[in-house]
Amino acid sequence: MKGRVANTSIVASLTAVVIVFWVMLASVPKTSAIPAFSRKYQTSCTTCHNNYPELNDFGEAFKKNGFKFPKDDEVFVKEPPVLLGSKAQKEAFPGAVYPGEIPGYLPIAFRYEGNFTLNRKQPPGIIAQNGFTPRTDLFAPNTFTIISAGSFGQNLSFWIDDDISVGAANANGSMGDGWLKYSDLGHGFGLPKNALNVRFGQFELDLPFTQAKTIYLSPYDIYSETAIAGPLGTTNNSTIFGSPQRGIEFGGTPNNGNFDWSVAVTNGSNVGTTTRSSKDVYVRLSQKFNLEREAESRNAIQAAGPTGPRDHTSIRVGFLYYYGKNQQNQDGLLFPGLATIEEPFYRVGGDLRFKYRKLELFGLGMFGHDDNHLVTPGAPPTIAGAPAIRFSGGFAGANYWFYPWLIGTFHYDAVNSHADFVNGTPASEHQTRNRFSPGFQVLVRANIKVVGEYQYTFGHPYTDPVSGNILFFRPNTFQTGIDYVF
Amino acid sequence: MNSSRSGAKATIAATLVLVLAGAGRANEIKGKVSVQGIKTAENIAVYVDVIADKKFDAPKDHIVIDQRKMAFLPHVVAVQQGTTVEFLNSDPVGHNVYWPSVSGNKKLAHNLGTWPKGEKKPFQFNDLGVASLLCNVHPEMSGYVVVVPTPYFAVTDKDGNFEIKNVPAGKYTLRTWSEDGKPTTQAVDLSGATATVELTVKK
Repeated sequence: MKGRVANTSIVASLTAVVIVFWVMLASVPKTSAIPAFSRKYQTSCTTCHNNYPELNDFGEAFKKNGFKFPKDDEVFVKEPPVLLGSKAQKEAFPGAVYPGEIPGYLPIAFRYEGNFTLNRKQPPGIIAQNGFTPRTDLFAPNTFTIISAGSFGQNLSFWIDDDISVGAANANGSMGDGWLKYSDLGHGFGLPKNALNVRFGQFELDLPFTQAKTIYLSPYDIYSETAIAGPLGTTNNSTIFGSPQRGIEFGGTPNNGNFDWSVAVTNGSNVGTTTRSSKDVYVRLSQKFNLEREAESRNAIQAAGPTGPRDHTSIRVGFLYYYGKNQQNQDGLLFPGLATIEEPFYRVGGDLRFKYRKLELFGLGMFGHDDNHLVTPGAPPTIAGAPAIRFSGGFAGANYWFYPWLIGTFHYDAVNSHADFVNGTPASEHQTRNRFSPGFQVLVRANIKVVGEYQYTFGHPYTDPVSGNILFFRPNTFQTGIDYVF
Repeated sequence: MNSSRSGAKATIAATLVLVLAGAGRANEIKGKVSVQGIKTAENIAVYVDVIADKKFDAPKDHIVIDQRKMAFLPHVVAVQQGTTVEFLNSDPVGHNVYWPSVSGNKKLAHNLGTWPKGEKKPFQFNDLGVASLLCNVHPEMSGYVVVVPTPYFAVTDKDGNFEIKNVPAGKYTLRTWSEDGKPTTQAVDLSGATATVELTVKK
């Protein structure tokens, strides 16, 4: 074990990161459909959602257009905005404040969720090791969220969501997204509509499949994966995809919204203020291939089906890349005698989404790589390169609309991490942790859902108190609950 | 004698002419619908019910229902049986028009599908009853086509007033249909130029 450091400060640091990580997981902000827009346009949730908060093609176009109808928005607005200056005041600029507008209504919506949980019966060894967990929890309030979103005129849009309450215990929720976006920045340069937009604030990265607005009860595991070396070295990178980032994002959706690009520069830290001077870069590219046969239907916002508008039959393929340089020991306290340790890291992945009538198939694969070091104590201590911390994984799933109000769901998650296996965070039988999650969603009303999901998870090791043998237990759970917005 | 006979014949002939002219004269039924327990007296269809031994040809003129600003306009349309209604889409967003039944008869459900802005899709309503117009992506949209057996019908204005013109003199049964109220029936004797009726529709 020469060269390996049993440094108490590392252990303390690791523990702190793990605690922060789990706290973050417990409070991953979830946002949703926007009844504020329903009020503004006097239209149902189904205009933009097939199964809220997942967007349909019209909802995607609405979002890409800065929360405005893709065509003739002002015709559909039932609550006219309040003008902050007449349009003619533009001519007086810069001698006067540039005219703007605010929503004529209070753009606020709320979402509340809570679940019933049924846990698999625990063997005595698990109870002895992890403590007792009741088999059922009749109702656990999850989040009560306030959402505000809308537009400030032609080009400016905004979004703020905050969990007012988590677990109904107190107001200890956290902000999800809070940003301001300027759309169609490239108009002045002759670029196609919405080819260049800029967004600033706290936001979920332009992920292939949103975590903040997921329809599922459980998160995508790969989005929560951190790179922690533990006894394997110094790598201690808490950056995850499942929580919002802070920074600035440039992006656009040219080619009739079929091509999507974004480049974000972020702090790289998901919680609190930035902890390092280096900034991270996230790049996302995707192309949607519209498979509709009729050109007119292909070019419309939604396809013209024989029984009504529907999403286009399409395949979307995408690519993501995240690069950063994790920094530790800036103050010399973690590794006394050593300078700042810089450990570049990247995440790279690809994704696919296929939509055909009532069926939706999707998948994402991702690979993570963090540079790693080993510190050898001494006078002075030395530092040397170590095998990188790597992980891979992803998810795949399917949704099927039996009726417009009854949706069958399924997703499979897998994370393959040698470091996690060594660290036992979380403890697993294999280096791959996987989970099957079949479920259902029932739209009781357009704004009220009953959701359910069974999670068949990987084996967790425990010691049998009688034989002393290492056995494995799958802490499978079934959750069902209510979810409504207003 | 001859002069008195010819005078009598002239009198009879004149009377016959007047009677026949009265029977064929275009009169009107007008009135007002009051409501109880219903928000508004607007958009209530008032029509002359089936007239025994009387059949009417299907009208050649088409009626247009527009889909504009995510609403069916007009909201309620009364048409004679056999009328062709053209559904226009004036919105830049996709709609479809369908009705899940005609007066509860699900066998008469129909879905016209989706078509682009500016285009119309026709449908001939041959079955008596009410078709509830819906759009499956904008469930807040609703409209009604009330298919009636005679060409004598009207839809009330916002104050509940209606006028059914060009109705021959006679005795009829007047019926109403409304979105939220129960049907009402009332006998009307149209012997003069105008018959004025007061109707009440209750929830």
